Amino acid sequence: MAETGGSKAGVAPSDRCAIGISFGNSYSSIACTSEDSPVVIANEDGDRQIPTILSYVEGEEYTGNQAKALLVRNPNNTVVSFKDFLGQDFPSIDPTHCHAAAHPQDVNGTVSFTIQDKAEGDASTLSVSEISTRYLRRLVQSASDYLGKKVTSAVVTAPTNFTEKQRESLIKAANDADLEILQLINEPIASVLAYDARPEAKLEDKIVVVADLGGTRSDVAVVASRGGLYTILATAHDYEFSGVQLDKVLMDHFAKEFMKKNANVDPRENAKSLAKLKAESEAVKKALSLGANANFSVESLADGIDFQLTINRLRYETIGRKVFEGFNRLVEGVIKKAELDVLDIDEVILSGGTSHTPRIASNFRSIFPATTVIQAPSTSATAINPSELQARGAALQASLIQEYESEDIDQSTHPAVTTVKHITNAIGVISLSDDGEEVFTPIIAPETAAPARRTIHIAAPKDGGNVLVKVVEGGTHIKVTKPEPKAKENGTKEEGAEDEDDSDFDSDEEEEEHREKVWKIGTTLAEAGIKDVKKGGKIEVTINVAGDLAVTITTREVGGKGGVRGTLKAA
Amino acid sequence: MATVTTVTRALPALPEGWSAEKDFKPISSITASTQRTIEPVGPHFLAHARRARHKRTFSEDDR
Ligand SMILES: Nc1ncnc2c1ncn2[C@@H]1O[C@H](COP(=O)(O)OP(=O)(O)OP(=O)(O)O)[C@@H](O)[C@H]1O
Ligand SMILES: [Mg+2]
Repeated sequence: MAETGGSKAGVAPSDRCAIGISFGNSYSSIACTSEDSPVVIANEDGDRQIPTILSYVEGEEYTGNQAKALLVRNPNNTVVSFKDFLGQDFPSIDPTHCHAAAHPQDVNGTVSFTIQDKAEGDASTLSVSEISTRYLRRLVQSASDYLGKKVTSAVVTAPTNFTEKQRESLIKAANDADLEILQLINEPIASVLAYDARPEAKLEDKIVVVADLGGTRSDVAVVASRGGLYTILATAHDYEFSGVQLDKVLMDHFAKEFMKKNANVDPRENAKSLAKLKAESEAVKKALSLGANANFSVESLADGIDFQLTINRLRYETIGRKVFEGFNRLVEGVIKKAELDVLDIDEVILSGGTSHTPRIASNFRSIFPATTVIQAPSTSATAINPSELQARGAALQASLIQEYESEDIDQSTHPAVTTVKHITNAIGVISLSDDGEEVFTPIIAPETAAPARRTIHIAAPKDGGNVLVKVVEGGTHIKVTKPEPKAKENGTKEEGAEDEDDSDFDSDEEEEEHREKVWKIGTTLAEAGIKDVKKGGKIEVTINVAGDLAVTITTREVGGKGGVRGTLKAA
Repeated sequence: MATVTTVTRALPALPEGWSAEKDFKPISSITASTQRTIEPVGPHFLAHARRARHKRTFSEDDR
């Protein structure tokens, strides 16, 4: 999971013009910053989500939605879904998504495409690296046109499971497009940064799940965010449940409906009809994220027959249920993999185009406790457009590091700097609950990277006097309270309030047990005594954990003089 | 980085007869930790990298 920074094509910091790029298999985005806030750039067609597609007609090169439209009449010279092939050997790629476009070929192990890219003469054999270079060059051109100066450098996002070879290959493809890669950053971290960089964001220790639901893959990460430092605790990847499966669900639906009126004509059996069916199904899917109904309408869908049909969101959610359940399982699985519970998750960030789907957000809402913030357009008015998160994060990072020499960036991203000890248990003090019971009050959260320093102000006993600061480790466990067995209420089962609940899963019917996260007090680390604290006084406790895990504790009365300071050696 | 959390629940009183040299009693070290990788991203990471590369502590950094 090491980051790859820098590049051979180093540009002097003063000559740089840097942007952020999110480079997906389905769509890409470019972004810059303006007065420290990120701006996603529209290309010449006015698109901010630019299909990652390259197409050639009579020697003319097309990208984005123009290239996507060519899938109907020029599929063989149109390259789609190639990004993940970078740095992979031919036998290890999954060519499924290239089925209705140019097919990847094995050229001495290198993934390549045969494309008629010139007006005359023979077709060219282009490696995936060359295709990527040409596509990235177009993205850079769009950004340069927008900015009015030549873009020289970029931070690009990459999946967390991109191998070192894939990272190198991506950097090379960019360098060949005359683009310096300042740094490749992990996609979920770009999304977290996009949220944390908002002016209203508070610096809080939290556990964040980033669900990146894209076109051909879904990736989920559990991230510990501690004092603005991010540590990935677990990741999961899925290629079975993603945006194209939802397109497929709609394609099958519309094809079947079409065949009810036109028996024996299956639009899925003819390449051109299939391409039209797919394009319109994707458009319908997107429309259903916003409206309760959407209209499917294609002229001459198959056999010269026009087709038109309306679908409502409820129907879509019913036929897409399997895919939606797949997303739920993926998220639940990664939390387990991180050895955490849903109660440990403070925030869920929905990222990627598929995350616009309201049903997905409402399903997540029901998995997590009410205290978990679900950042999605349909559940939170302040959510950031999930399709823009990665490009925004990349642009922010680009603006942070563009003034550094590439050598400095390389050194800072080196494992010697990034691989550090992390605290296993929480560290805190013992305080008293209202009924006088000892309870753990955390000061430093578990999974915090060392070195770390945190300070709290905590009340002294009401009457002041001599106070005990007892520093301890703490752990959490999940306390489950079973409800009193009560007679079943007469089955007035709520009948589906229109668009909700109808396709709901049985789990809601169970009697709810109450689950809560409680702290338990662990090993005592140290005790300090603060004498003669005044009535109503407050105590400041600072815990400083060094890189080697030696601990320095300083504590004093707030506003008072002196104080106590002591250290604990590293184990 | 001087964000301070405020807790209203009170600390206990010092037990009668408690005494320690300089009022501090070290008892044990913290539990062994895991090595993990922090993501080299964001403004706080840059501050971390600066401290790490110049071998500076938080308080030296504050000055
Ligand atoms: N408003 C929307 N509602 C539902 N789905 C949408 C919406 N906008 C985009 N999508 C879908 O999101 C998917 C693209 O996601 P994204 O832009 O994150 O692409 P990506 O990262 O390139 O995907 P991948 O690499 O997984 O193929 C497509 O399936 C697209 O149809
Ligand atoms: Mg993606």
